[in-house]
Amino acid sequence: MNDYDVCIIGSGAGGGPVALTLSEAGYSVLVLEKGPWFNEEDFFKDELACCRRSVYTPQLKDEMHVLEDYDGKNDDGSYKWQAQSTLESGSDFWNGNCVGGSSNFMSGYFYRLKPKDFRLLSEFGKIEGANVVDWPIDYEAMEPYYTKAETVVGISGKIIPHKHQEPRSTADFPYPPTAEHAVSGLIDKACLELNMQPLPTPRAILSRPSGDRRSCEYSGFCGSYGCSSGAKGSSRAALLNKAIKTGHCKIQPHAKVYKLSSDQAGKVTSADYYDENDQKQSVSAKIFVVACQAIETSRLLLASTGPKHPDGLANNSGQVGKNLLFSAGGSGTGEFTYKQFDAALAQNMKQRGPFVNRGLQDWYFIDDKEFGAPAKGGVIDFLLRHPNGISKANGEKWDDNGKLMWGKPLKQKLKTVFAETQYLRFEVFNDWLPTDDCFVSLDETVKDKWGSPVAKIRLGYHDHDLKVGRYLADKSEQVLHQMNASNVRSSVSGAPPPNLVAGGCRFGNDPATSVLNADCQAHDAENLYVTDGSFMPTGGSVPYTWTIYANAFRVADIIKQRL
Amino acid sequence: MRKELTKKKHLSWDDTIPEGLHERIEARQSRRDFLKAASIAPAALYLSGCDKPASTSASTPEQLALLNKAPWNTFSAVQNHLFPKDDESPSAADINATGYLKSVLELPGIDEADKKFIRDGVNWANDLSRKMFAANFHQLNTDKKELVLIQISKSSAGESWLSLLLLYIFEALISDPVYGGNTDKIGWQWLEHTPGFPLPPENKRYHLLR
Repeated sequence: MNDYDVCIIGSGAGGGPVALTLSEAGYSVLVLEKGPWFNEEDFFKDELACCRRSVYTPQLKDEMHVLEDYDGKNDDGSYKWQAQSTLESGSDFWNGNCVGGSSNFMSGYFYRLKPKDFRLLSEFGKIEGANVVDWPIDYEAMEPYYTKAETVVGISGKIIPHKHQEPRSTADFPYPPTAEHAVSGLIDKACLELNMQPLPTPRAILSRPSGDRRSCEYSGFCGSYGCSSGAKGSSRAALLNKAIKTGHCKIQPHAKVYKLSSDQAGKVTSADYYDENDQKQSVSAKIFVVACQAIETSRLLLASTGPKHPDGLANNSGQVGKNLLFSAGGSGTGEFTYKQFDAALAQNMKQRGPFVNRGLQDWYFIDDKEFGAPAKGGVIDFLLRHPNGISKANGEKWDDNGKLMWGKPLKQKLKTVFAETQYLRFEVFNDWLPTDDCFVSLDETVKDKWGSPVAKIRLGYHDHDLKVGRYLADKSEQVLHQMNASNVRSSVSGAPPPNLVAGGCRFGNDPATSVLNADCQAHDAENLYVTDGSFMPTGGSVPYTWTIYANAFRVADIIKQRL
Repeated sequence: MRKELTKKKHLSWDDTIPEGLHERIEARQSRRDFLKAASIAPAALYLSGCDKPASTSASTPEQLALLNKAPWNTFSAVQNHLFPKDDESPSAADINATGYLKSVLELPGIDEADKKFIRDGVNWANDLSRKMFAANFHQLNTDKKELVLIQISKSSAGESWLSLLLLYIFEALISDPVYGGNTDKIGWQWLEHTPGFPLPPENKRYHLLR
């Protein structure tokens, strides 16, 4: 007799849809979450809590990663990699570790993938040095679940037809767009003058109340912050709270799963975890679902050796941890002084609260001789500079020559930056090509506070990513120039944004080259499913969360059929 | 065709990575630089004699008492030189930067080694101050203080120490008043900074969230 029908490890965007679907169907569900359980009553616009102390993420002295960076070449021409613990370097690679995961702290830019994203190899051919493959399912299999997420998670937006619009089974979003900032109109004007098509950005943020969740209250502090109104469509606010109400779902916070034990037949038998008092506990279930975010999912599987899984659970082909993905691209900025506008517009430009909600998809696919052969491109999103004041001030303490400033010159600079200038930024999202130089393994020496080997992440990237990113950044800069922004600049690099991560357990039809089958069930452990972003064999050029939600709803239906 | 990879940092996406990452890295970098510097600098002894009251506009008796005691008299003197009073804007004293720094060093949330680096810097600053002008830092006039800080900033560890003190001045300037700085929201008013809402009550400060 098992303790539960289903045990889900991780409570973020990959875990929530499974917990909700199966508990609504009457199955007993346990969700094990490593971090604490915060609610709306715990979320304030407190820059120290959100962004300057480890409140929603582990202390690095307790839990860290080892990052491997490119460090030149060996004599034989092979790449050299330098490994360093994040405890040493301070480059924190954690996202949200609490009930609801990092979906609590997202900005909620929500995009679907497009049909061609499911078959990049067939559409655009092989890229030397990259492991591009087609997905084992097509867009049509995912579409109903993208639609389901719009209603259940709550996505606001407005459909405007454009040349790269993906097919939809409904006419428009269930919630109208959130309120928009004055700068959005200026972006629209500039884009139209440049013959570009500005599009409203869909957001996983309620523009109207729904059930226990209030509508967005427009504090202007959204990304990186937990939402105190419940408007943000986190796994916790949108899904887990409903799952608990069914009476069939239990959430266990402070439960750090260190191993999935398996039997002689290869089936998973228990999730073994440390509780809040660091005591070992164990729980059994018919089906186990892993959704710890890509890096920690691969780490847990690699650590979970068993009689049939000598190299780690579901790793009999050595594929676990391979083809890790981030989001490629970069970002840029342009500046406006309030003095350049008339008084009324200046006042509106200063306003804090409404969203910019503008993006460009004109180059989602690039067909431009100057670029080269037709290629996968990406999206551009516009946003105001993050309102975090401490971070903003701290970024201004160096002069143009890199010398530390203090005294009157520093204070004058702060006044100008805070009170006289508005900063319009853009972010470019394009595919992070899967390569042999970007993967997760277990570190051989560095261990977390419980004595488990930490994840070691090699952070190689493909130069093609930079070429696409630069192409899109140049287009974005044109918009800022057209708006008469000053100091327009941008940066495109192979630096991985730790919060935009997927892959490591790619799904596919061939067990030799993939970890999961098309149902996101492990090829070699029949009661194990992975429902976070790990399944993605190629990333697509948009933030991953909507696709993670949709796929987890899809897999939840598959598990429900089976139970 | 794959080209040469280039060495990179994880730091270019300033708003798509968690806020504060840059500074946490900087904090760690400071510690390592300091340890390197400390291994070649003569061991510093802390001297607390000859203290005079620091010039201050701190308002409560507790704050005034604090500023007369080592090492806070030195911290206060450095902070008020980095962030001085003028007609239009608040000084480090006006935002209770020293009391704020004391609470940061007492609360959890900052790496112990980083805290030690911040504290040790006081000895170092006073050592240098005595070497240059035969008096502790807080006893110097403004011109001499400037010369000592310029000298400190010429080493990478010294620059990191000053940079960290500036960071905690900015925290005292812009964090919610519930943390003890930003007295009467004076920092927000000066910078015309609109804070978000809701703001944290006493019982929901970051170190109380579990």
